[in-house]
Parts: sequence; C-alpha cells; structure tokens
Amino acid sequence: MFAYNFQLALRSIRQRKYLTILMVMAIGIGIGLLITVQTMAYHNQKMPLAHKANDIYFIQADNRELGADPIVRQPFMIYLTHRDATNLMQGQSPATAHTTVWKSDIILNSLSQEVRPFRSATTVTNSSFFSMFDVPFLYGAPWDAQSDIDGAPVIVLTKESNELLFGGENSVGKQLRINEHAVTVVGVLDTWDIKRRFYDESYSTSRHDTAFISDSFAIKNNIMRNERLDCLPENRDKRGFWRTNDIQGLINSECNFVRLWAQIDDESRAEDYETYLVNYVNSQKELGRFPREMNNFVTSLHTMVTLANELRSGNDPLSFIAPLFFIVCLLNAIGILLAKFMRKTSEVSLRRALGANKAMLMNQYLLEIIVIGVMGGIVGCALAYLGLQGMMRVMVYQSDYSVTIDNLRHAFSLDLWMISKAVVISVISTVIVGLYPIWRIVNIAPASQLKSQ
Amino acid sequence: MLKMQNISKIFRTELIETHALRDVNLHIKKGEFVSITGPSGSGKTTFLNLAGLLETFEEGDYFLDGVNVKGMNDNQISALRNEKIGFVFQSFNLIPDLPLFDNVDVPLRYRGFNRKERKERIEHALETVGLSARMQHLPTQLSGGQQQRVAIARAIAGEPAFLLADEPTGNLDSMMAHSVMELLEDINKQGTTIIMVTHDDQLAKRAGRNIQIFDGQVSDINLDSSDVLVKRA
Amino acid sequence: MEIRPILLSMKHNKFLSMVISLQVMLTVTVLTLAVSITNQTLSQWNMPSGLDHDNIVSVRTQFFDPSVNLEQAIINDVNRIKKIPGVLDVTPNKEIPFDAGRPSRVYLDSGEEAQGYNTNFFDMDENGPAVLGLTLIAGRFYQANEVVRGQDNEVNSPSVVMISEDMATELFGEKSALGKTLYLSKDNNPAQIIGVYSNFMNGERLNGRGKSYHSVLRPTVTWAHNANPNYLISVEKGAGPRLFDPIQEALYKIPGRYIYGIERLKRTQKRMYDGRGSQGAILLVVSVVLVLIASFGIAGLVSFLITQRRKQIGIRRALGGTKWSVVRYFIVENSILTLIGLAGGFGLTMTFAYIMAQNIGDSFLQFDVLIGCLCFVWLINICAVWLPARRAAQVSPAIVTRSS
Repeated sequence: MFAYNFQLALRSIRQRKYLTILMVMAIGIGIGLLITVQTMAYHNQKMPLAHKANDIYFIQADNRELGADPIVRQPFMIYLTHRDATNLMQGQSPATAHTTVWKSDIILNSLSQEVRPFRSATTVTNSSFFSMFDVPFLYGAPWDAQSDIDGAPVIVLTKESNELLFGGENSVGKQLRINEHAVTVVGVLDTWDIKRRFYDESYSTSRHDTAFISDSFAIKNNIMRNERLDCLPENRDKRGFWRTNDIQGLINSECNFVRLWAQIDDESRAEDYETYLVNYVNSQKELGRFPREMNNFVTSLHTMVTLANELRSGNDPLSFIAPLFFIVCLLNAIGILLAKFMRKTSEVSLRRALGANKAMLMNQYLLEIIVIGVMGGIVGCALAYLGLQGMMRVMVYQSDYSVTIDNLRHAFSLDLWMISKAVVISVISTVIVGLYPIWRIVNIAPASQLKSQ
Repeated sequence: MLKMQNISKIFRTELIETHALRDVNLHIKKGEFVSITGPSGSGKTTFLNLAGLLETFEEGDYFLDGVNVKGMNDNQISALRNEKIGFVFQSFNLIPDLPLFDNVDVPLRYRGFNRKERKERIEHALETVGLSARMQHLPTQLSGGQQQRVAIARAIAGEPAFLLADEPTGNLDSMMAHSVMELLEDINKQGTTIIMVTHDDQLAKRAGRNIQIFDGQVSDINLDSSDVLVKRA
Repeated sequence: MEIRPILLSMKHNKFLSMVISLQVMLTVTVLTLAVSITNQTLSQWNMPSGLDHDNIVSVRTQFFDPSVNLEQAIINDVNRIKKIPGVLDVTPNKEIPFDAGRPSRVYLDSGEEAQGYNTNFFDMDENGPAVLGLTLIAGRFYQANEVVRGQDNEVNSPSVVMISEDMATELFGEKSALGKTLYLSKDNNPAQIIGVYSNFMNGERLNGRGKSYHSVLRPTVTWAHNANPNYLISVEKGAGPRLFDPIQEALYKIPGRYIYGIERLKRTQKRMYDGRGSQGAILLVVSVVLVLIASFGIAGLVSFLITQRRKQIGIRRALGGTKWSVVRYFIVENSILTLIGLAGGFGLTMTFAYIMAQNIGDSFLQFDVLIGCLCFVWLINICAVWLPARRAAQVSPAIVTRSS
C-alpha cells in the first residue's frame, strides 16, 4: 500500500509540474533565508573549547569605589587588577592552573629589516595559557615557567605571522624585534580551530591574534596596554599615561584590565574556589581595599559563552525578519497546495466511491506533501549556500578587505547539522500547513462530484 | 420583436472552417412561444448563443426589439442582454455561493435599479415561482425543480422582452418538468415572448411554433396554422 | 458596489481568503520593519564630501623606535614626499576626513556652565587647507608662523583657528564669525577665529548626529612616541595609486617606522559608509524578494479563484455583466481582503515596534514609512489581481450553454 501511495504521490507531483515547482521554490526561498541567518547565528554561538568548557573558570571580583553602579550580571562585570590576579595565582587555591590575559598591539619587525614591520594583535599571558587551552604547536613549544618569572625576551608566533616574517619555515631560535626589543622565537602555533576567540571575551570569529608574549616580559619592557582600563574616579585622567608610558604605575593602581582564568578539574571544587576568593577579598578588605559589598564571579567558560550568546542574539534585524519571511513563503505554498488539491476533488470522490478510505487518501497526500517538503528543504539548502557565500563576501567588503574569505569560511559554512535542520524544518512546517488542505480533500463525500451539478 | 437576416456563423481553426449556421432568416413576433428542435450538433446551441447575444456573428443582421445588434461593442451588448433577455438553462446556472435572494439580485444590480426597486422585484419574482419563503436558502439546499424555478424567477425579475430557455426541463423528472412547463406557459400568457430549445417533441408541441434546425439551417413550422413553410436561401 | 455578494462568496472560501489576508498582513509587517530599519541605516548616507577625495592620499604611520627624533623626522618626511613627482602638497595631520574619532567640544564662554558644541579638530600645518582644497568663505587662511609645533601634551593650544561654514552657522548664526573667540577646551585660553572655510565631511560619529560638516582647523603639528605622524597628500589628477609605492619608500628611509596604511580618501570614504550600506542593501534585497513572492502568490491565488469560478463569471456575463464589472468584482474582493490584511499588518507592526523599542530602548518605526508601505502593498496587490482579473473578463458568456 505504501508503494502504491508513494507512486500516486510522485505521479501527482509530476502531473502539475509547474505548480509543484512554484511550491518548492516558495518553500525553498523561505528556508534559504532562514537557514542563512540561522547558520550565521549557529557559528556565532558555538561553544569554544567544548570538551573543557566546564573545567575552565573566569574569576572576577569587584574592587570599585562605594559609589559605583552595582553590577549584577557577569557579562557586564569588570576584570581584575594586575595585583589581585597575581595574588590569586600565587595563593593556595583549589585550581590546578591559572592564566592571565591582557591585550596589546606590538610592531613586529625583523632585525635585518628585510621584511616590512607590521602591527600584531597580541595576547600577553603566561605559559599555562597554552596547556590550559590545548593550543597546538607546529614548531617548538611555549616558553618555560622560568621565563614567566624573569621576563626572558621570548615570543610565540602564529602560523600566519611566521609566514609573514620567516616564510613559514621553522623559526624556533630565530630572532626578531618587538618594537625596539630583540626577542627569540620559542614556538609557532599550528592552525588553532578556536571557533571564537573566547579567552579575551571578544568572541571574534574572523580576526586572530598573531603573537603571544609573557606578562613578565611585557612589564619589564613597558609594552603598551590595548585595553579598557577601569579605574577609580580619581585615577581616570591618568589612564592615557598608564596605557602607554608607566606600566608600574598601572600595576600599583586600582585599575582593572587583567582577565584571570582558572582550571578547576573537579566541578565540586568550583565552590571551594569561591570560598578561596571570598577569603582573599576579606584579607584585602583588612588592608582597606574592596570597599563594596562582596560581589565575586566564578563563572565556567560554558556559562560565560551561554550568557554572551543570550546578550548578542536578536540584535540583527534579519534574525526576526527571516522567520516572518518564511511564514509568508509558507502561506504562498499552502495557497498553491490548496489550488492543486481542489482541482482533484472529482478524482478523490471517484476514489472514495471505488473504495479508498480516508486513511489511505490521507497517507497518499501526506506522502506527497512530505516529498514536496524534502525538495523544498534541498532547494533551501542550495539557496542558503548561495546566501552564505553572498553574506561572506558582504562581510569581506564591510571590513574593507581587512579580513579574508579564508578567515571567514568556517563561520559561513553549512554543515550536516544545519542541512538536516533545514530539511526537518521544511518538512514539518509543510506538513503543518498542509493539514488543512488534506483534511478538506479527504472529507469529500464519495461520488459527490461525479454527477453533473 | 426578433428578426434575423442572412445570419451566418463560422468557426475557424487553422485547418478547417465549420459553418455552424448558414444564412438564417427568422422573424419572431412579440408574445410568441417558439420551440426549437434539432438533433445534436445541428447548430441549436450556436443559434441559442447568437439569439442570446452570448456570441457574435460574422454576417447578416440581427434586430432585437427593433435595434440592430450588429457593430455594437461589448458593453452595449451586455446592457442589451441584461435588459431584453432572460435566460433559463438546463443546468440552472445559479451561483452556488449566493442565497436565492442574491441570485435573483445579480441581473438587477447590473441593471442599476435602486435598492427598494430591486427588493420589490426579487420578492415578486420569487413569489411568482412560489419560493418566497426560501429567499435566504442556498441553491444547494433546494431540489432540481426548485432551482430551476429560481432560475426562472431570476430571468423574469428584470421584465425582459423575451425569455431564452435552453432545455429547461432537461435535468428534471417528468413531474417537475411538467410544473416548470406550466410556469413558462403562464409567463408567456402574461405577454413575455419565449424561445425554448428542447429535444423533447412532446414539449415542443406545446409551443405555438416550432423551428427545426438541421445542419445549420432553419426550418420553420407554424404549429398553430399547421402549414409547413420551408425557407431556403 | 457589490459588497454584499462579495462578502457572501468569501464566506464560502474562508480558507483562501484568510491565506490572502494573512499574507498581506505579514508582508506589510516585514516590509515596514525592513524599510524602517533600512531608512534609518541609510540616513545621512553618501553625503557630499566637500573634498576632491579621489586625489588626496592619506598615509598613517607610527614610530616604534624611541630613539628617533620625531621633530626632525616629520620635517624630513615632508621634504621627501614633496620631491616625489606627482605630489602637489603635503601636511602632517592627526584626524583624517571621513574617519575622525571621538567628537571634541568647543565653547563660546569659559567656566563650568558653558554650553559645549560638538566638533572634530583637524590639526594641520599651513599647507593643510591647500591639500584638502578648501575654499575660503570669509577671513584668511593661517600663516606658517601661526602653526604651533611640539611634543604632544606639551605644546600650547594655538591662538588662531579656522572653522567650517556649518560650524560658523551653528555658533554664530547669521553673524560673522571673524574675530570671535572660541574656547577649545574649558580650561584653556581662547583662540581667535580668523577664517571660515567650505564644509568637508568629518566622520561617521558626527555624521550620525547630523553634524557631518562641523569641524575646526587647528594650526598645530604635534608628535609623540608610538603616536601617529600621519600625512595628507594632494596629488595630480589620477596619480594616487601610482604614488603609493614611492611615498612608502620615502617614509621607510627613516628606520624604526611602521606604516599602518596608505590609501586615497576615496577608500576612507567607502569604509565610512559601507557597513551601513551593505546592511541596508541586504535588507532591501530581502524586501524586494518578499514583495515579489507575495505578489506572485496573490496573483496565483486569485487566478486559482478565477479558474474555479469560470462558470460563475460566465453566468454573470450572460446576465448582463460587462467586462469591467467582472474586473471590478475581483479588484473589490481583493481590496477587501487586502484591507483586512493591512489592518492586521498595522497592528502587528506596532506590536513588533513596541517589543523592539522595549528591547533596544530606541524606536525605529517611522510613520511615513508605515503609511507608505501600506499603500505600496495595496498597490502591488491591485497589480497582482489586475492581470488574472483581466483574463477573467475574457471568459465567454457562451460558457453557460455548455452543459457541465
């Protein structure tokens, strides 16, 4: 019976080819836009470092003055002072590892000046960064723990910057300069499929850092701070000076600019860390710091990314236009479907007269609709592919060609999950809107249409 | 009342020309009840379409109530059809979406009567056919005979010069057919000219005059005077 | 008008009528939202620049070697660039037209209470006005000896400034700006206005607030380690791209320097607008596709309704309906459905606008756009129904004599 119904469904689809094409196109275009928008959102909401997202925690504590506005939600919370980050790392904490992150812009230039200098977005951190975040190395290795203490002049390059400076060869041991400071390359990263740059809370999908240097080196050599500095009101006018000139002044101040990450392997120990943090803040209160009520955050990477996603979703007008657009397309399809079915009333009443029961007819038309839904989903995927390609090029244009298609491709690609999603949405929504026309047609009385009026 | 002179109707396709009607000459006077008979494919329907101004013709002249139809544009013909002709069809041709009242109302609206006059005419017409109690019913809620009565009411509501009936009893059983015929005869007696196409000889004989169409040509038999005139062009 | 029969017949096609109305409702909603957002996105878009932006080159550089003598470097740079054939004039600068950063404020009075006026400062030497090709509206251009030079944060504010035409109008209205004084910051000595020049585009930040041409020209050249000696260079017509390499070569003569970028102001202008431009374009494309789909869909549904009612149309024609009455019937029918849809769309749009205003805290809905979209969708609907209705009018009344 299924085979027979399937045959009938296919025949019906072929019979009114033109109407079928229209219907498939209507659904396809709607799905196309919907999946284009959803794919972009999907890539923008992916969980970075998914296998460790519950082991990595972000540590924040509120050291601001009494009069400052209260902060309730983690995404709006300030970072730590350099001093607090260092103290927390050095204390007896429940964490197995810590790393700090702050950002800088440095000019990389070769000693021979053969290669023109270029500006590099740089992360200033410690050696634990690479093991905590599973960073893959192509050549060499991170700097050692000793360098974290003595500020040895070393640098870790990425594949991209190594390509620019050394033509892609193994550059470990070679020298180059950060601004006027000579440094030695100790490692070169392999392609790091990070999905989104989570470690500095920028969540950028297309722009990558091109160098990593140690915190101790940056302090020793006053490498500029490309960071927002959250300072006490009385220190605010010094921010410009502290950003570029006086790093020691900045470190001694109450200005927050350092992100602290902790690795806590056992989830239950996260509570211990909270206690550790409370104890630390209390010890500082005794020194006259942290004047406000206790307001600490120990947030897992997973929670942080989820909160950030919530905050960022729904800002794009296309994200609410696309579903409405899809409904218009569906209404279109349903109109066509109804038109198609109504022409078949006499055939249906004849079939009913010849003994087909409602369930059989229901099966037949449901099959037809499912086939149309699947085709709509496939057309939708094809259109979504084109849509994403278009969007990707618009992004390149929008960035004035400062990001390349290669940088963006991963954030604009259809994967199996999105393709299945497209087909499933297409089939389910087609079936939902098709229920009424089907109900109408199977309820035609047998032979009612046979006698001429 | 209705006068056709040398009327011809030709259907052309790329390959062949079919002469559906050739040189028809015919004169029907006011108050007559004329039946038209002929085998299938003889040109009956074409004749009906021409007489009812539903189709145009190539040659000849057609005077309807003294007005030559030839050369009129579509709007003029529509107005003429609306005013002079009432139609009764074999398949009733009621509009299924509309209740009886609104079905009868259709031609009156095109005529441009005001609301009050339309209401009076509709009520009167439905009363004439004995259906005034069912004004708000839909056509599908009526029997075939009743539907045909509604069609007749619609045809006479505008007081047309003549009534064009196309197999008015073709879809009805004999009881109903009889009552519809009587209704038509009553209407005729009140002065409305009736032209009725039928294949039923018994019915045809009840009319005052019978015209036979055979192979696109017309033979006129005056049943009242019992003499047979065969006109050939 | 035959409203009653139309309403009666709709009762028998409830579902299709509903589909048409719903489609109109959603179409007009999406269209209004998209056009409102686009309209807002594209406000102040592609304004006249007031500059010969094709023939001005902007180069941004930075010294990373602290041992470089910046004062001398700037003098050397300017001399080297001037010698390149094709270069007409050059000036060191900080802010770049089309790309000016955070607005500054100027004041007509000193003191805490003084009202601030948003503007952008453009710091250039005496060649600046010539490089930008500014026209003198009133007063005079500044002289070489009026240009203040020195280490950033150490030099005094200049004693004379020039302001743009729009700036002068905002500050002084119809009155002449010449000789008036202007406080460039609250706690500084005022500068005297010596000239008014023709408007040029400052940048996106003030453009977004409708102050595209508000600027102050300060005769100032400053330098700082790790900050930018930037240069604006006017070149012979069409020579721009050809000169990029020679200019970079000239600048690299001093080691310890990094060149951030070199481009014509034309490209700076593109970058200023293209984020908004492409977003607007995407929304417009979506809107156009939507209108196309909806109108095709409605035309399709109407022609289906017409096919279904061929017989009825024939009957109406036989009973004396003119062709026009048939066309009118369908247009009126469609207009009723459209009106219902438009009313629903109006409500839905307002709801959406309200929700979004709650979320974003900013209302983007423009009523003229809403009214425009309502009328447009109605018009599109009449067009969509017009062709099938014309076809309906061609149904021969002779159809009635055929037994079905």
